[in-house]
Amino acid sequence: MTDTTDTPNESTRDGSGAARRDFLKGVGAAAAVGATGLGSAQDLTEMTALDVVDDPIGNYPYRDWEDLYREEWDWDDKARSTHSVNCTGSCSWQVYTRNGQVWREEQAGDYPRFDESLPDPNPRGCQKGACFTDYVNADQRVTHPLRRTGERGEGKWERISWDEALTEIAEEVIDTVEDEEYDAISGFTPIPAMSPVSFASGSRLVNLLGGVSHSFYDWYSDLPPGQPITWGTQTDNAESADWYNADYIIAWGSNINVTRIPDAKYFLEAGYDGAKRVGIFTDYSQTAIHCDEWIGPEPGSDTALALGMARTIVDEGLYDEEHLKEQTDMPLLVREDTGKFLRASEVSGLDVDADRPEKVFVMQDADGTLRTAPGSLGERDGQNDHSVSIELDFDPELAVERTVDTTDGDVETRSVWLNLRDELSEYTPEQVNEITGVGERTHQKIAREFADVDRAKIIHGKGVNDWYHNDLGNRAIQLLVTLTGNLGRQGTGLDHYVGQEKIWTFNGWKNLSFPTGSVRGVPTTLWTYYHAGIMENTDPDTAAKIRESIDKGWMPLYPSERDDGSRPDPRLMFVWRGNYFNQAKGNIALEEELWPKLDLVVDINFRMDSTALNSDIVLPTASHYEKHDLSVTDMHTYVHPFTPAVEPLGESKTDWQIFRELAAKIQELAAERGTEPVDDRKFDRQIDLQSIHDDYVRDWLDEEPGALAEDKAAAEFILDNSEETNPEGTDEQLTFDDIDEQPRRLLEAGDHWSSDIEEGEAYAPWKDYVQDKNPWPTFTGRQQYYIDHDWFLELDEQLPTHKEAPVLQEKSEYPLGYNTPHSRWAIHSTWRDDSKMLRLQRGEPTVYLNPEDAEERGIEDGDTVRVYNDLDSVEVQAKIYPSGEPGTVRHFFSWERFQYPDRNNFNSLVPMYMKPTQLVQYPEDTGEHLHFFPNYWGPTGVNSDVRIEVEKVEAEAASIVSDSLGASEAGSASLRSGSESRGALGRISDLLGGDD
Amino acid sequence: MSKTTDDTVHQTEDGDVPLAEGVDHQVAMVMDLNKCIGCQTCTIACKTNWTESGGREYMYWNNVETKPGAGYPRDWEEMGGGWDEEGQSRTPGELPEQEDYGRAWDFNHEAIMYEGSDEPLRPMENADWGPNWDEDEGAGEYPNSYYFYLPRICNHCTHPSCVEACPRSAIYKREEDGIVLVDQDRCRGYRYCVEGCPYKKVFYNAQTKTSEKCIFCYPRIEGEGPEGEVRPPSCAEDCPPQLRHVGFLDDEDGPIHKLVNEYEVALRLHPEYRTEPNVYYIPPFAPPQTSESGETVDADRIPRNYLEELFGPEVESALNTITREREKAERGEESELMEILSTVNNDDQYRLEVFDDDG
Repeated sequence: MTDTTDTPNESTRDGSGAARRDFLKGVGAAAAVGATGLGSAQDLTEMTALDVVDDPIGNYPYRDWEDLYREEWDWDDKARSTHSVNCTGSCSWQVYTRNGQVWREEQAGDYPRFDESLPDPNPRGCQKGACFTDYVNADQRVTHPLRRTGERGEGKWERISWDEALTEIAEEVIDTVEDEEYDAISGFTPIPAMSPVSFASGSRLVNLLGGVSHSFYDWYSDLPPGQPITWGTQTDNAESADWYNADYIIAWGSNINVTRIPDAKYFLEAGYDGAKRVGIFTDYSQTAIHCDEWIGPEPGSDTALALGMARTIVDEGLYDEEHLKEQTDMPLLVREDTGKFLRASEVSGLDVDADRPEKVFVMQDADGTLRTAPGSLGERDGQNDHSVSIELDFDPELAVERTVDTTDGDVETRSVWLNLRDELSEYTPEQVNEITGVGERTHQKIAREFADVDRAKIIHGKGVNDWYHNDLGNRAIQLLVTLTGNLGRQGTGLDHYVGQEKIWTFNGWKNLSFPTGSVRGVPTTLWTYYHAGIMENTDPDTAAKIRESIDKGWMPLYPSERDDGSRPDPRLMFVWRGNYFNQAKGNIALEEELWPKLDLVVDINFRMDSTALNSDIVLPTASHYEKHDLSVTDMHTYVHPFTPAVEPLGESKTDWQIFRELAAKIQELAAERGTEPVDDRKFDRQIDLQSIHDDYVRDWLDEEPGALAEDKAAAEFILDNSEETNPEGTDEQLTFDDIDEQPRRLLEAGDHWSSDIEEGEAYAPWKDYVQDKNPWPTFTGRQQYYIDHDWFLELDEQLPTHKEAPVLQEKSEYPLGYNTPHSRWAIHSTWRDDSKMLRLQRGEPTVYLNPEDAEERGIEDGDTVRVYNDLDSVEVQAKIYPSGEPGTVRHFFSWERFQYPDRNNFNSLVPMYMKPTQLVQYPEDTGEHLHFFPNYWGPTGVNSDVRIEVEKVEAEAASIVSDSLGASEAGSASLRSGSESRGALGRISDLLGGDD
Repeated sequence: MSKTTDDTVHQTEDGDVPLAEGVDHQVAMVMDLNKCIGCQTCTIACKTNWTESGGREYMYWNNVETKPGAGYPRDWEEMGGGWDEEGQSRTPGELPEQEDYGRAWDFNHEAIMYEGSDEPLRPMENADWGPNWDEDEGAGEYPNSYYFYLPRICNHCTHPSCVEACPRSAIYKREEDGIVLVDQDRCRGYRYCVEGCPYKKVFYNAQTKTSEKCIFCYPRIEGEGPEGEVRPPSCAEDCPPQLRHVGFLDDEDGPIHKLVNEYEVALRLHPEYRTEPNVYYIPPFAPPQTSESGETVDADRIPRNYLEELFGPEVESALNTITREREKAERGEESELMEILSTVNNDDQYRLEVFDDDG
């Protein structure tokens, strides 16, 4: 297949040891040999024959050899692509090819500038994107369909044909549908924005099958629940360019310099524009080092810190009164007797012009008169109703305490503002210092500075979002931007960047992924933990709440409960574009309880990740440099494509091709079997396997048969049918060819965004509400800090409040906190196993230990240690990290299970747990404000509350591993001979002509 | 054979910028350490361009090391090399061991994934040091620990001790741009240059039996390649925060000249090695220290004497100048220096064609 005719024994420059790059050997190496004629054993005596150099500085006469490196800087072609890895980067790259193979990549660096007063958006990229080429031809690459021959996870496979693979899967699908267990078919694929065509490929088939589509943003605990709770929105962020517009930036648990490498420039350079940058991190993090001030609170105390800062702002009158009156629930009255909002329907003699006065709220104007709050849900038609305004024609009072004549008689009421002030009064400087360790003066000073500037912004990250009480933490930190009116303008807001959760080209993607419009979405945290046995493994109160939520239909669970009260087990799972098995929290239960329930696990992958390794059938898919797709992110407002630099390697096919061919196989076999259409038990549709391929390739919007057979057509479908790329009422449109030529800025923002995309301005959210005065999509139509849901009242969480973390492990037994932050060396598990990245680490998983903690335990840098708790024990290498706070162990997350001696991983120490407040519907009866919607509202898969202990693994025990591995030459030799025997599997080395 | 600094250095026309005698122009780079996030995109860009194979696998012509730290190769600052105080004779240097660099480990992927091995994924040789082994470690005690990142390439020195060290005269400075190269035809791999370079930026290739080093991506800056486009070195062009300026030291209208000679905020690393590097650094700031009661206190986090060890006594005034200029920006006043350091107007970030008409 490639020119690998040179034998490695030749002592050429690129000869032996060049491993996988042998095939790239091109003119450079050949010319070098030709030019020099060097043998490997030149004699010293040759010096006598040397030509003389009079002066090597500026006058060197023998420079012809320089062509050596010039000829290495050469390529045949290049193609634009990017990487589908949920990093939020969405960076456009040029992929260089040589001799028909991918050589290297370099940032395309051609994003057009839209605001000359901001830093250049180019180049976007990072070190991982800069070596994705490694994966294209890697040892890890899956090149042929494989069927498991050993146990799941054993790594024993047989190569099968595509027809065998698709037939086996199709038969299982047909059986399942015929058994009316189609809701036992799961499709897990995260993050449409990173490659919406690939996302849609399997989602479309699963949708046609009546199967289950999994959420991911909540499951990964990337969703900040405080945002739907307070702002009625999944998340809406400024693009990173907007950071530069701020006068003051707090990076709060968001390690930008590690996790937002392409965007870090805006943060770094904001300092040169006069902005102050404050970092709030428990460790002296890689972002803290470039801040102007670093605050290091105790882990899990961020809520108290934020509320302390809020107290300063409120007590010192530094808040934006106008903003609070118009944009928030602060003036609304709350009944003292029930803790519920006073509703207009309850107030005697109050004139209400609304269809549902029981969902209209009440405030008091400057004259002491009770008034209905404009924009209340009761006067709106659903969650988003922009025909109603929150603009005020009177001046509401913030501080109200009064008796109201209600249908229940006289009732004492107080405004949310006064309730909040009561709550904040708990967070005195002394108390905040006690809880957080942050200085009394320092946190107040930061609060004052934040309130004082014109434009202040918080960049909020995973560091504060993975705690059980993440909703309280979110709400407390959000309160700071609300109090100071830092919303709805450039350079302000709370930008939460964790996961590429939002897709700009929403409508096209939605219609491509879910053509029937009837979607069985499921909150993956609930689905996973339920089927892995959480009901028998959690406290009775949580179990009762989970049951109540399911019974009331607040959270869906599939397979659904049948009429006879039974609930089948999940049966068939497709995983693509994600590493579900590796990344699952509570993974011991998942492996022991959930995994065995699945009759068939199919993984579609270009590399053998832990999920693939634990699957039954692995289908080889095209890498990121071998297909057409699109890429967008909420870090920027551009769209750009994947295009194939080379053909899919070996027998691999694109995701779209794979699922299309599976649909064809299902249709073919269903016809042979005479499978009749099945009525969907939930939706008004039939599942018809005999037309499933025709339905797959049909354009459902234009009713055009066969239109969507190819990936590129699917990408065009998204562009054609999205407001962002083909806005209604204009003749502007972005086509695939346009964006292949150069990344293009999106033309408009669809209505799933809260601001417009404006010419010459960085996108900043919330203008629909703050500037245009549309009601916020909450119960009250305002930013809502008071939640009067029964469960919130019961837990005393109606307002943000600091609570201690739940005790998962006793501190006396497990004295150390356990933090699993994102690393600079991987995007989730991708690149975790990449040799080039591992060589710049330690080649294996490490934990970062504070030197004191290590010394107490007799641990030295480089020691093998056991990190353990009541759930499991993982063996890793200790690395000393003086900048880590004492009492916390950092185990950067997402190492693959096969990187641990016991094949467990960082998640094995995390139990299944979830917070009941995230299982609710609100209002309880109608749910317009909070209702399950995949990735918008659902329980988050938190993990930061875990405790552990660490101990040194004594040399003897550790050496077992290193001996058997080390096995030095013998070990390597056997690996090599192994690779020869893989001919039958048709491995990468065969395709490339062998590597030894 | 040794030459004094005076012999080898000449001034540009207006006498401002000293260049090596016989060199018409001198390429130079300024790296802003306040923008370095340790992401190593430069390292990988360099590697995929130049050091993937052919005996170069272990080499990082561009590396990024955590400071304080042992660096790459390990403890290179302790290994000598460079010139003595008079700049007359070379200071003896040591040859790093292979272990000080670390090896380009191969891994057992195939055994685990396709052959049923129950071992963990590991380097297939002893892995007890590597080019970034002490990443993020630094020094000091929590909460007043400190560290920062230092990217390093060959300094393409004005007074290069590697050139002087080579008994075969196989290392030279190019006349047109002062880039220091090892002639791969002439070199016999004696490694005197490896010893002699105090920055340890010449590497021995055991496969070709020659020494190799950073070439300042001369094929890129010459506009080689199918597209004939002049491009800066890949470590600079691919840097996400764009922390490097690339141009000529003697281009007196360029930002490098301003940073080095006018504002004097860009400093040489270890000037006491006296090789007169042409890579310069904007020294790093850090947030102030935290007291026991959790208050921010007005005390330098990175000890000033440590920065002086690295960048010489001028570090103090460089930091003061930057602080002063930043305060101007905070007040909303214009600061040319802040503008140079940002990419808002980056037309001059890379000025590589300014002398093209010289012939």
